[in-house]
Amino acid sequence: MRRVRNRWMQPAINLAIVVALLTALSYLPPDTSLADRQKTGVLKLCVPPSYPPLVTGDPNEPGFDIELAAKVAADLGLRLSVNTLSSIGKDFNPRNWALTRAQCDIIAGGVADTVQTRSFLQTIPTPIETGWVGVGKSPELPEAGATVAVLAGSSGLDRLQVSGWLRRNGWRTMPARSALQFTGVLDSGAASFGVTERSGLAALVLPAGVEVFALPAAEFPQYRMAFGLWKGDQTLKRAVEAAIGKLERSGELARLADRYGTKGYQRFSQELVP
Amino acid sequence: MNRTMMALRGLYGVWLREITRATRDRAQLIGGISRPLIWLLILGVGLNPYFRGEVYGEVRFVIPFTYLQFLFPAVIVLNIMYTSIQFAVSVIWDREFGFLREVLVSPMPRWLILFGKVLGGATVATLHGALVLILARFADVTLSLEQVALALALMFTLAFGLTSFGVILAARVRSFEGFGVFSNTVILPLYFTSSSIFPLDPALTRAQQAVTYPEWLVFLVQINPITYAVDALRGVLINFNQFTPGWGIGIIVAMAVGFFLIAIIDFARQ
Repeated sequence: MRRVRNRWMQPAINLAIVVALLTALSYLPPDTSLADRQKTGVLKLCVPPSYPPLVTGDPNEPGFDIELAAKVAADLGLRLSVNTLSSIGKDFNPRNWALTRAQCDIIAGGVADTVQTRSFLQTIPTPIETGWVGVGKSPELPEAGATVAVLAGSSGLDRLQVSGWLRRNGWRTMPARSALQFTGVLDSGAASFGVTERSGLAALVLPAGVEVFALPAAEFPQYRMAFGLWKGDQTLKRAVEAAIGKLERSGELARLADRYGTKGYQRFSQELVP
Repeated sequence: MNRTMMALRGLYGVWLREITRATRDRAQLIGGISRPLIWLLILGVGLNPYFRGEVYGEVRFVIPFTYLQFLFPAVIVLNIMYTSIQFAVSVIWDREFGFLREVLVSPMPRWLILFGKVLGGATVATLHGALVLILARFADVTLSLEQVALALALMFTLAFGLTSFGVILAARVRSFEGFGVFSNTVILPLYFTSSSIFPLDPALTRAQQAVTYPEWLVFLVQINPITYAVDALRGVLINFNQFTPGWGIGIIVAMAVGFFLIAIIDFARQ
């Protein structure tokens, strides 16, 4: 028995040293993003002028994302500086929003946690969901050849997925340039059906009788809205994630979501009937 | 004691010898940790600023992960490659110092002796690959138990194939010095052309990829079996595949079976 113990003692000691060393090294900070923010004492948040209820433009109720970011900044001991940029969401290509690392530490108010977004940013999901939804007067899908209005937002959902689905079903696509045009064509009957982003619904005034429906779940999964951070800012991301985790455990995140009515905002009637 | 039990005891003895030798050798363990430290902590962190975004919508590295996360599975494969292929040194050692001759005259079938040696080498290589998993926190890779189990299974199968490959190399190289040079000329080109440190965008066609990289490099990456091993591990660890997910697993299993069969033939000639 003693000989067996001796035989494995040296290898066990060697392995234990290696494991302890690697474990200790895994706690090294991989970058200076958090340290830099702590040095300046400011956390910069970039948001569009309005994206209700995430950003409302109302100083008393500034929006879910802004209040959440303020709580995160407070937890990190930083002052939140909100940069409202009208360029956000103006174009489907985020490059044209011209958001730079110098302007923003976090981008919020309409960022979806999708593969498309994660190609450019690191994301921290918030409790709010988004995805493509159908808008129409009836839960039944229209016949082939019908016109479908599409109001694509800029949160980072896959537009090719929608265009492929519309093409496969033989519908004519009518791209809407604005929320007003989108609701207008639905109201007038110029389009028998509409497709838009769930996260943009709160900004729409739907005509009477028009309801929101879920698109087939197999093809159109729901995604979480998110805070977008620059790729490579690992230490800042970990700190923000930890702060949000604390808010979640304390129930503050749920209270904030309730106050902004995000449950009602996520409502849709039923899945569309083929 | 029946013959099966005797064979199993022999197999265990050969396996245990490899494990004991490897775990007592501090130099091997230092090699096992120096590679992940150099590649993840120094190269990964050093190059990170060049792959991060400065303007939203503008990155050179269009994959839904950070550079460290992308590099992480490749470093595991690198650690396995080095340990597995360097295992051939143990075969050359045994041959040079007569131990192999003593084992070969035992009643154990030759293929079983080889199986024990390859199992031992593969176990050590998997251990070296698993050491990198400890750095998952540093690379911001979140792992579930299921992911770790699946990754270990893939790592072991890959290690088995590469250890057999090491035995094939050992049969063709007669000296330690020769093998040292030869193994580096095999390992490093295989590693660098396995899409380990740069991505081939899965959304792009071959013609489009050739705009980013010269066509000869795309060709080398696509014919390199290690590319698919790295891809399979990326699929398990960070849920990202550049190629059809089944290919990686298929190629890893094919390498394990194919190289082991060739190694049996080579070993039988010794």
